[in-house]
Amino acid sequence: MLQQHTENEIQSLTKENRILQKKLARSQENHAKLEETKRNKESRLNAVIVELQQSQAILEKKSTDLEQAFNQLSLMQDKLVEAEKMSALATLVTGIAHEINTPVGTSITLASTLADETAMLTTAFTQGQLTRSTLHDYLDIAAESTALLMANLSRAGDLIQSFKQVAVDQVILERRTFRVKEYLEEVLASLAPSLKKTPHTLTVTGEESITINSYPGALAQIVTNFVTNSLTHAFDLNAHGTICIDISESNGQILIHYSDDGSGVPPENLGKIFDPFFTTARHRGGTGLGLHIVYNLVIQKLQGKIEVGSQLDQGTSFKVLLPLALGAHPPSS
Amino acid sequence: MLKVAVGHSNDPDSLEAVYEVLAQCQRTLESVKPKAGVLFAAIDFDHQLIVDQINEAFPGIELIGGTTDGEVSSVLGFQQDSLTLMLFCAEDIEFCAEVGRTVSQAPIDIAQQTVNTAKKRLLSPLKLCITTPESLTTSAASILDGLKLSLAEIPILGGTTGDQTHIKQTFQFFKTEVLTDSVPILLLGGNLLFSHGVSSGWSPLGKRSVVTKVEKNVIYEIDGKPALDFYHYYFETFAADLAYPLAIFPPGEETFVLRAALSYDAALRSITVSADVVEGSMIQITEAAQEDIISASKTSFEQAWDAYPGKAPTAALFFSCAWRRFILGTQTMKEYEAIAKLHPQSSSPESPNTLESPLPSCGFYTYGEISPLRAQGPTFFHNTTFVTLLLGSE
Repeated sequence: MLQQHTENEIQSLTKENRILQKKLARSQENHAKLEETKRNKESRLNAVIVELQQSQAILEKKSTDLEQAFNQLSLMQDKLVEAEKMSALATLVTGIAHEINTPVGTSITLASTLADETAMLTTAFTQGQLTRSTLHDYLDIAAESTALLMANLSRAGDLIQSFKQVAVDQVILERRTFRVKEYLEEVLASLAPSLKKTPHTLTVTGEESITINSYPGALAQIVTNFVTNSLTHAFDLNAHGTICIDISESNGQILIHYSDDGSGVPPENLGKIFDPFFTTARHRGGTGLGLHIVYNLVIQKLQGKIEVGSQLDQGTSFKVLLPLALGAHPPSS
Repeated sequence: MLKVAVGHSNDPDSLEAVYEVLAQCQRTLESVKPKAGVLFAAIDFDHQLIVDQINEAFPGIELIGGTTDGEVSSVLGFQQDSLTLMLFCAEDIEFCAEVGRTVSQAPIDIAQQTVNTAKKRLLSPLKLCITTPESLTTSAASILDGLKLSLAEIPILGGTTGDQTHIKQTFQFFKTEVLTDSVPILLLGGNLLFSHGVSSGWSPLGKRSVVTKVEKNVIYEIDGKPALDFYHYYFETFAADLAYPLAIFPPGEETFVLRAALSYDAALRSITVSADVVEGSMIQITEAAQEDIISASKTSFEQAWDAYPGKAPTAALFFSCAWRRFILGTQTMKEYEAIAKLHPQSSSPESPNTLESPLPSCGFYTYGEISPLRAQGPTFFHNTTFVTLLLGSE
């Protein structure tokens, strides 16, 4: 009985031993596999860490590049805005030069004629051949030439004065009190050469007596940009367009109502018209800054308001509402 | 009436193990002679010796089975390097084992012919087919296609044989033989009741797309675009990661089978998956937490329990995936433990929660599971899935 029990015990222990040996073998096999898996994972993890570090370096570089690009863009935008302002000034200069050229050229011709006639008179006098009729003719010519010289030089003087005013206003942006209608007519006179080449007409209406204490240079640039815009965009090749500027006053504010009867602005573009760099004429050299500058000048420099309205094939209008006098602390441009 | 006996030994000595298993079964059977059996054995055993011993104990037994990636039973729970046997006795149930040899030469034809041969021997109405086919020499999905050609609407359940993840050679058991490159089947007819359940624990997520070009297990196009683009939409790099299998909804099915993405072709932009996919299937990526994967065994068992047509099943067979064992690691034993708590032998189906003795059960970890997705539905080949088959006669 005891022997049987012992044999059973031994059998059981032998079996347990076999099972444990098998389990140990499997455990060692699994351990080896786990070690290999661990090595692989460590290696993969290291690779991922290196990739992450590289990605981070690349991202940092990209971030710096982006910041630089952004700064350069901001600088470029400022330069473009400045260039657009200078472009408006250049338009004025060209117009004035053309306008002055006519009276000055005429004056040179008249002066030359007068010099020739005087030389002939002097010769006749020194040779003792001066007749009464020759002297009479000379005096007629001299009187006529002098009158024409006076008229032409006055015209040139006026133009120079007007140009000086506008140019000074453009550059210095001086604040003063001025008559709005008269001033705008002066500004528009400088645009006359451009307008003369076209079949379009431009009229300015309103009370002569309306005055404003503001920055005339800013107003000149606003109106110049409106007109340039109409000439560039509004009229078809064979159209005979009309541009009207009406000045009125009510409730301590001045309304400058600018309108053309051109092709109008498509509704999808109307909301973007004051956005910087928005233009439909980039292929013709448009920068998309003209109306953006207008908007900034009206809102910031002149403390006013601006509205745009347009209907296709009916035309476009701008209403600029300005205070009669600016506040005590004019904003910086 | 169906009577079953289960034996399970973890003795690594082949002879000792089979003696122990047979002794356990004979204690349950008393003097009743079993008609059929299923045998699941770890790869390291002397399989011929084991099969011979079983045939010596029960001459003429209709035996099928194969080598595994892990074994499970109601005797020892989950084990590796073990041997488990389930024997069936029933006057009114017919069992018929058959085998198709060198199946890789013509998997569809040989599988179809094997069923045709077995069916001729069966006298009672055919109810069910259990199979343990080869997994490494040929496409198990093609073998299944062949079986389905002959079995039509008859459900097929089982799993492909394994070799403890060595991926070198697997063996199948048929009556007195130990074979490789074969497809053993066991047809069951007569007064048999059964039900099945399928669950994986993975849940589909993301957009559902259509497999528009596929050749066997190589997917070329999804939604008309290169298959690799679909994969890269979710995963930056391609890693053959078993933890994120793809859900494949076969045409006309509301539930899915899983396929692991194994490799890819950068030039063709195709993905090679773990088994065949039918063109027109819907495809989605999946995700699962460890606890979802473990609880899938319970879900699968409960599905089968709820669908069982009789009073209470007599036995259960389990087919779980080797990849599940790989992913679950030391947690694998919880798959069976979750079920063992649920199925006491003498409880009613309405309240299967009073623990007495566990339902006699037996199963193995496979290289691919075989089961319909739903009752009366066609059979599909699965990966990474847990399949429960409940058997009984009342």
